[in-house]
Amino acid sequence: METFNNSKPILLFLLLPCLLLYSLIAFNSSSVEAAMHTNNWAVLVCTSRFWFNYRHMANTLSLYRTVKRLGIPDERIILMLADDMACNTRNKYPAQVFNNENHRLNLYGDNVEVDYRGYEVTVENFLRVLTGRHETAVPRSKRLLSDEGSHILLYMTGHGGDEFLKFQDSEELQSHDLADAVKQMKEKHRFKELLIMVDTCQAATLFNQLQSPGVLAIGSSMKGENSYSHHLDSDVGVSVVDRFTYYTLAFFERLNIYDNASLSSSFSSYNPSLLMSTAYYRKDLYKRNLEEVPVTNFFGSVMETIHTDAAYKALSRINSGRFEAQTSLDQSVHHIEKRMPMKVNDQEETHNIIPEGEEGASKCPWSTFWNKFRKGENVDTLVNYGLVAMIPLLVISTWLVQ
Amino acid sequence: MEKLKKKIGSISFWKWVIASVIFRLILIYFPQNLNLSSRPEVSTPLTSFRRLAEGYWLKQSSMSPYAGSMYHGSPLLLLLLGPLTVKRIEGQPNHILYSLVSVIADLVSAMLIRATGQNLQLAYLRTLGSLDLVKQIEGSEIHPSGDVAALIYLCNPFTIVACVGLSTSPIENMAVILCLYGACSRLIPLAAFGWVIATHLSLYPAILIIPVIFLLGRGPDAPPWKLFLQRHQQNGMLNQSKLPPGFSWGPIIRFAFWSLVWSVYVLVLCGISLKQFGGLWEMFKSTYGFILTVEDLSPNIGVLWYFFAEVFEFFRSFFLIVFHVNILFMILPLAIRLHHRPCYLAFVYVAIFSMLKSYPSVGDSALYLGLLGWFVNEFSDMQFSLFLFCGYVGVSLLSPVMHNLWIWRGTGNANFYFATAMVYACLQIVLVVEGVSAMLNHERKLRRLITGKTQDSKSGLLSDSSP
Repeated sequence: METFNNSKPILLFLLLPCLLLYSLIAFNSSSVEAAMHTNNWAVLVCTSRFWFNYRHMANTLSLYRTVKRLGIPDERIILMLADDMACNTRNKYPAQVFNNENHRLNLYGDNVEVDYRGYEVTVENFLRVLTGRHETAVPRSKRLLSDEGSHILLYMTGHGGDEFLKFQDSEELQSHDLADAVKQMKEKHRFKELLIMVDTCQAATLFNQLQSPGVLAIGSSMKGENSYSHHLDSDVGVSVVDRFTYYTLAFFERLNIYDNASLSSSFSSYNPSLLMSTAYYRKDLYKRNLEEVPVTNFFGSVMETIHTDAAYKALSRINSGRFEAQTSLDQSVHHIEKRMPMKVNDQEETHNIIPEGEEGASKCPWSTFWNKFRKGENVDTLVNYGLVAMIPLLVISTWLVQ
Repeated sequence: MEKLKKKIGSISFWKWVIASVIFRLILIYFPQNLNLSSRPEVSTPLTSFRRLAEGYWLKQSSMSPYAGSMYHGSPLLLLLLGPLTVKRIEGQPNHILYSLVSVIADLVSAMLIRATGQNLQLAYLRTLGSLDLVKQIEGSEIHPSGDVAALIYLCNPFTIVACVGLSTSPIENMAVILCLYGACSRLIPLAAFGWVIATHLSLYPAILIIPVIFLLGRGPDAPPWKLFLQRHQQNGMLNQSKLPPGFSWGPIIRFAFWSLVWSVYVLVLCGISLKQFGGLWEMFKSTYGFILTVEDLSPNIGVLWYFFAEVFEFFRSFFLIVFHVNILFMILPLAIRLHHRPCYLAFVYVAIFSMLKSYPSVGDSALYLGLLGWFVNEFSDMQFSLFLFCGYVGVSLLSPVMHNLWIWRGTGNANFYFATAMVYACLQIVLVVEGVSAMLNHERKLRRLITGKTQDSKSGLLSDSSP
């Protein structure tokens, strides 16, 4: 511990020129790359309506549930649904939406916040959400308020075809509309990285026209292939989930908020024979290695926390010095310390034991003891000894006086 | 025959003890301790375990444990029990270590109650022997009051709930019982230690100094001095050896010395541990000040919260004084009337302050119900015993229901819950009053036996003992 304290200024001296160099390089390239990953957003769109498209709504709601479970709060999710399944008169289980015939999960629980519902799910609204060009009266909950440090997950499901996606049986979104919107987003620094996941027929054609850097896209099927539903629920009467989403969920249900499974493991978990189509992903626009990117970069939300005691006017904590060194090193690295809250407790406990060992090793015990007592350290150990000594004192006094 | 009966009695006693400990352990293994620690009847702002955990966390974060008005107990408890709040063992329920500590505290209290009870009974039989009344009493059924009291304490649902519900009442009760045990057995340092710790943990056991002084000065419960004089004067002889000893001041001075020693020790330890956070004054303000000024008005099974929720600010201090003097003004008359029975006086004091303290809980009631067992022989013809028993059962069943109706369902209001609290207070008052009158009846019976005997010895006829 003491050597670390001594070497802290040396480390800083070494780091300073490195940081200077890095910042110079970063200044020349586009400013977005220098931005730190700050938050995660999710835009989940179900483009179908009517009872026989139950599975599309179930797809979207399943992904909504996954994304919420892994940490993204409702404020950063835009959910667009036709929302006519749960309370449909043909629904045998009113107010319940299932994605599996075992009916284990009710996706339409008491915690679903739909931002665009019914006839509001249009191509115009979708593009307005992506580009951020809303009318002034649109509330904040319906806006995608991302910034240059955001990672956005865009999930779309419904009926699609060669370079188009059908919206609510009345309009289409074409692939170049989508590419234009993404380009506008890039110009306006509305994302740092974007993952587009599409589960429709011939999905991969939808992102043929994309050109913006930092975009990763995966579709459930290639040109000329259909995406199939997974199984039919004979009780509800319709198919309840699509294959691509089903296997996506099978991958995610095993994860919790602290796992760091990589994107490449997620993408390679799709088996074409099980999907009955080829899940195609496009990574030429995405510069990072997929093996290093954890899925929670898009599907979850784990924030890097920096611990401060500034609000409390008490004496400094025992290991605040250690924290400052760590955070200054972390700033230049995109490494999220997922286990930091749990590490705090371990460090606290180990650090409490260390001073006791140091006390025993000192040469002149009484003077060092008195110094430490005046400084306010080791008070707890002294009182502990006093408490423990109370019991033998009691026993002895009782026995003697008797 | 007597020995065999005693042996059987002691075996069944240990069976009951083991059964109650096993029952506690079973309840501890239920998930979340059956959520008993969230019941207002069990955990009050003074005894709540959750608050102790919060105080410990605050201390570990280098802040005063009394910050935020969450923890209001002793800093020594924080040091002893604090680490138990965070220690988790794999595969066991969350607070198993602290629950085990409570179980052990209950066991120790029960053993001490038993020892004190046996002590009491022996002393009482000895005094009856010196009054030559043993033959009359031997005919009627005498229960081993120590065993009965210990079993009442252990198997009382209130005690079990307070133990499983993670409150600090078992430890406070243990301190009070330690004090009474030490005083009965004339172990003065132990009595002083128990008294200092009990006062330090919760303020009210301070009034137990009076029964302790009587216990140390004169000895355990005995019939009034007058009866002895009557007995022996009417016999025509004043046999000095048969008279009980007079009041001696020596033990009391030693008790004062030892309590000074222990209180200085405890205060120094507290002062050291709170040096950076305001010292002893902060501690007194947050513990004793909190108890006396009734800052927290969350509902409990007492009667103060409802009143102080609606009292005007102008009159608040006045009514605080009234409520606390309510306990204090009963001390002197009871002491005058019952000074020859210090253990019984202690029981009455415990019952009074358990009822009228600022934040009562079922753990406090468990204490005096256990001490009640010492006097089963005297209370054998207490009036209203069935009414009281049914009342206690009814209140303990209805109170959670009313709380649920008020807080969770919203179909009731505070009056529902306060009604059960008032009924509970009335029951306790009836218990105390009937208890005292039963004890006085017992003494009248003894006097009648003695005067009847002397009359018969004069007139030469045998008297029949009244049932």
